[in-house]
Order: sequence, then structure tokens, then C-alpha cells
Amino acid sequence: MSGFAEFWAGRELWREPLLAGVLAAALLSYLGVFVVLRRMVFVSAALSEISGVGVATAFYVGAVAGIDPHVHGAIPLLLEPVWFSLVFACAAAALFSLRPGHRKLAPETIVGLGYIVASALVLAILNSPRIAQEAHAVGDILFGNAVTVPRSQIYALGAAGATAILAHALFFKELLFVSYDPETAMVQGVGIFRYELLLNVIVAIVISVATRAVGALPVFAFTVVPAAAALMLTENIRATMPLSIAFGVVSAAVGYYLSWIEQLPTGATMVVVASVFLLPGLARLAKRNTI
Amino acid sequence: MIGYRTPLLPPLDLSVRSGTTLGVLGPNGAGKTALLKSMLGLLPLLGGRLVFPSGRPPRVGYVPQRDRLDQSWPLSVLDVVLMGRTSLLGPLRRFQARDRQCAREALDEIGMGELAERPLYALSGGQHQRVLIARAIAAEPELLVLDEPTSAMDPAAERVLLELVEHLKRAHNLSVVLVTHQLTAVAGFASEVALVDRARGLFEVGPAREMMTPERLGRLYGREVRVAEVDGQIAVVIGRPVDPENDRSRPPEGRAPGEA
Repeated sequence: MSGFAEFWAGRELWREPLLAGVLAAALLSYLGVFVVLRRMVFVSAALSEISGVGVATAFYVGAVAGIDPHVHGAIPLLLEPVWFSLVFACAAAALFSLRPGHRKLAPETIVGLGYIVASALVLAILNSPRIAQEAHAVGDILFGNAVTVPRSQIYALGAAGATAILAHALFFKELLFVSYDPETAMVQGVGIFRYELLLNVIVAIVISVATRAVGALPVFAFTVVPAAAALMLTENIRATMPLSIAFGVVSAAVGYYLSWIEQLPTGATMVVVASVFLLPGLARLAKRNTI
Repeated sequence: MIGYRTPLLPPLDLSVRSGTTLGVLGPNGAGKTALLKSMLGLLPLLGGRLVFPSGRPPRVGYVPQRDRLDQSWPLSVLDVVLMGRTSLLGPLRRFQARDRQCAREALDEIGMGELAERPLYALSGGQHQRVLIARAIAAEPELLVLDEPTSAMDPAAERVLLELVEHLKRAHNLSVVLVTHQLTAVAGFASEVALVDRARGLFEVGPAREMMTPERLGRLYGREVRVAEVDGQIAVVIGRPVDPENDRSRPPEGRAPGEA
């Protein structure tokens, strides 16, 4: 059987993971244009890590409360890891939207601190003897694997995507103004905190949900690579966004296919394929001598 | 009373009269930006209050320092000018044909109508500055505020830009606040001048003719200053330090002038 025929024959297995990958890539590649232009690429890494603290905390609290996560329906709604993950990520997004009055605590310092503290907390909680038996399950939820994706995560991705699309359809001009020139936006009465908060919370929700579905590495990559590749090729934001989405979607689909055929790690293969899209832009910049 | 946590300047009264140009002049780090932010309500006052004769804050067209903005964004000139219409339109509404028309008219007015579709990155520094002025005009302001608009410009470009601001002021019946560290930007354009220097605890404001004197400018810069009128325009020449021991503009011991 040829490679593609073999792949097609297994469609029952890859339909959901592929759909999740493509959805996550499309959403992250769109938001990534704002993330890259606002020079906040490490915000996505920090948010991913902080939402992971939420998941780990949910398991830890459940273990302390004596709940067995392996028993169907044993986890009360309030202790669902996904809620903890969203609450932690949104709280961090709100923190990142604050503009510190003190020059010694620059926004990137706050993001860096968030990343470091969150990474340490995840490691500490995961290695706690209280949740040692669930460590593997927690790891899967924390970092995803892009190979098996439950349908609930596709619904979650769809809901996160609908939220992002709605917010951007309603407030695109404000989000663009606040992102490009916050000082003037503030002078002209456009509330920058509320729009930065909106943007950061949307990024937080999408990252939190997407990390659970496809894993931390592809999420970080899809937030940065397709947008960077598109920005190197276009001078118009209306062209940049669809191009970035196209790069992301193709990277997810082709990456998944190649990983299936060649039996490679799925997330990493998606990232490698996405990186290929950087080449035309780099060549263009090299031609202009602007690298 | 203005400042970040502690007062930067002595308690002050400052007003912008309708139809006038207020020049805020001071050396680098004098507290001009803090004063400007306080006037615009971006920095809370440590004491006192802002008073608006009309009972509401004026619509402000703001021109920020150009080098604070990233020119590599994938935006066209028109995209940037349209941002000025954002607060007029309010949330949930897209730009309409009227907004595009206003933005194009603002560009025509500053002589850049033909560059509306040009990418931002392809503009020169002077063109970028004009685009920011067009954006401020597209906001249909009552008060035009410019923060260091002529920094890094050669004298001819500086003159052209200030004449443009003067033209816009008359055409739109604007009040203007011009914040600068460049004497030439204020001389001949501002009807009132505020001299600011937090290091000397100095704040003085009055008609330009009274403020642009050798004595007052000498106090501001700690140097001898000569002021002359050439063909109806004021020229200012900065000379030697008044007090060489306390000359703030002198490089530290052991370093050559211009050395960091």
C-alpha cells in the first residue's frame, strides 16, 4: 500500500487529532500576528506554562481532597483541570496587561518571572508524591501529544476560536490602534487596559486550550513562526493575517501527514514544516539586504 | 502639582488659551513629558486639578515622538491616519466611507494625499512625522499636542514642519501645545512659552516675547544666551556657561565632549 493510501485507510484514527492541529494552527497563526508585532512572543510561552500550573494544581487539590481521577465522573466540575487552566491563564493575562509604573519592572521582566515561577511550580507539583500515580496523565493533559485528541478538546478549540473571531470582528480597529500606538490611543480616549486585557485573555484562552490538544511546542511555534513568515512577505496587515493562517494550517496538515508516514514525533514535525515557510521571507529580506 | 511619586516641579498654574500656541521648552530630562502627561490626564496630579472651561476635556489630536513607534508594522499610510478616527467612531463600528474621506483629506492637507497606500516602512522620517500629524488632524481635534515633533530634523525640514503646524492651526482653529527641547522650534511659533527644568526647580510661563529673553533662557540653560531678531524671526545663540563649576551640559571630568 502506498504512503497516502495507508494514511487514508487510517483516517478514523487521525481525523480528530488532525482537525485539532489544523484548528489550533489557524487560531494561533492569526493571533500570532498581533503577538509578533507587539513583540510579546514569550507571553505565549509564559501563558502556556502558567495554564499548566492550573492543570497541575487541579490534580494536586483533587489528590488532597481524596478524589480518584481514574473513576469516571469522580472529578467535580469545579476541579476540572480545564477550568483551573483557563483561570490561571486569564489571571496571568490580566497581570501582563498592567503597565508597571516602575521602570525597573519592565513588562518583559514580568513575563519572564511568570514563565520561571510557573515552570518551577509545574515541576514541583508534578513530582509531588501525592500525584505520582497520575503524573503520566497529568503530563498528557499539560503538554498534549497531538496524536490522540478527545472530541471535547475539538469543541473547546471551536469555542475558543469563535470567541477570538467575535472579539476581533467587533474590536479590530481598537486592538490594532492599542497595539500599534498605546500612548496616542490612551490620549484619544481608547481604553488601552481593557483592549490589551481582551487581547491577552483571548491569547490565553486559545493557548490554554490548544496546549492541551496539540502540545506546548507546536503551540509556541504556531504563535510565532507562521506570523513571522507572513510578516516577512507582506506589507499589508490584511494580507498578513490570511497568509499567516494559511502557513499555519498547511504546516499542521502536512506536518501531521509526514509524521504519520515517517513515524516521526507529530508536534516536532509540524514545527519543522512551519519553519520551511520562513525561507521565502528570509530570501526576500536577503535580496533587499535587510536581514 | 505634577510628578510620578514626588513633585518634579514647583506647584504651577498652566493654561492653554483658545487659538494660541503654547511652547513647552526645557533641556533633555527637564520634566516636559511629565508635564505633558499631566496636562493630558495620563499622569495623575499629585495635587490640584485640571479645569476645562467648556466643562469637558477637549478633543485632543496627539502627535507622539516618532521614534517611539515601530515603522516596520505592515500598515499603509491610510491605515495609520484612520486610527485617528477610532475614538470618534466608537467601538463595534467599522470605518465608513466618511472616515476614509476625512483621512484622505487630512493627508491632502499635509501634502501626502498621493502616498495614502504607501507602506509605512517606505516613508522617510519626515514623512512619517507628517503622517502622525495627519492622524491627529483626522481626529477632528480642538487641541493639537505635539511631543518633540522636530527632533532629528535638519533646520529646513524643521521650519517646513512648523509652518505646516501653523497652517493647520489657522485652518482648523486649533489650540496647540508644542513640547520641545529645541529653541528654534519655539522661537517665532509659540505665542506663549513655558520654561521647564526640574533640576533647577524652574517653571515660568508667559508671553513668548517676555520668556524668550537672554536672562530667562540663560537661567534655563545655565549659559550665556543671545537673542536677536533677524528679518522678523527670533534667533537664539547659546554661549558659554554662566557658572562653569555647575555647568550641567559639560561632559564629566576625564571624558572628551560627545563621549558617552
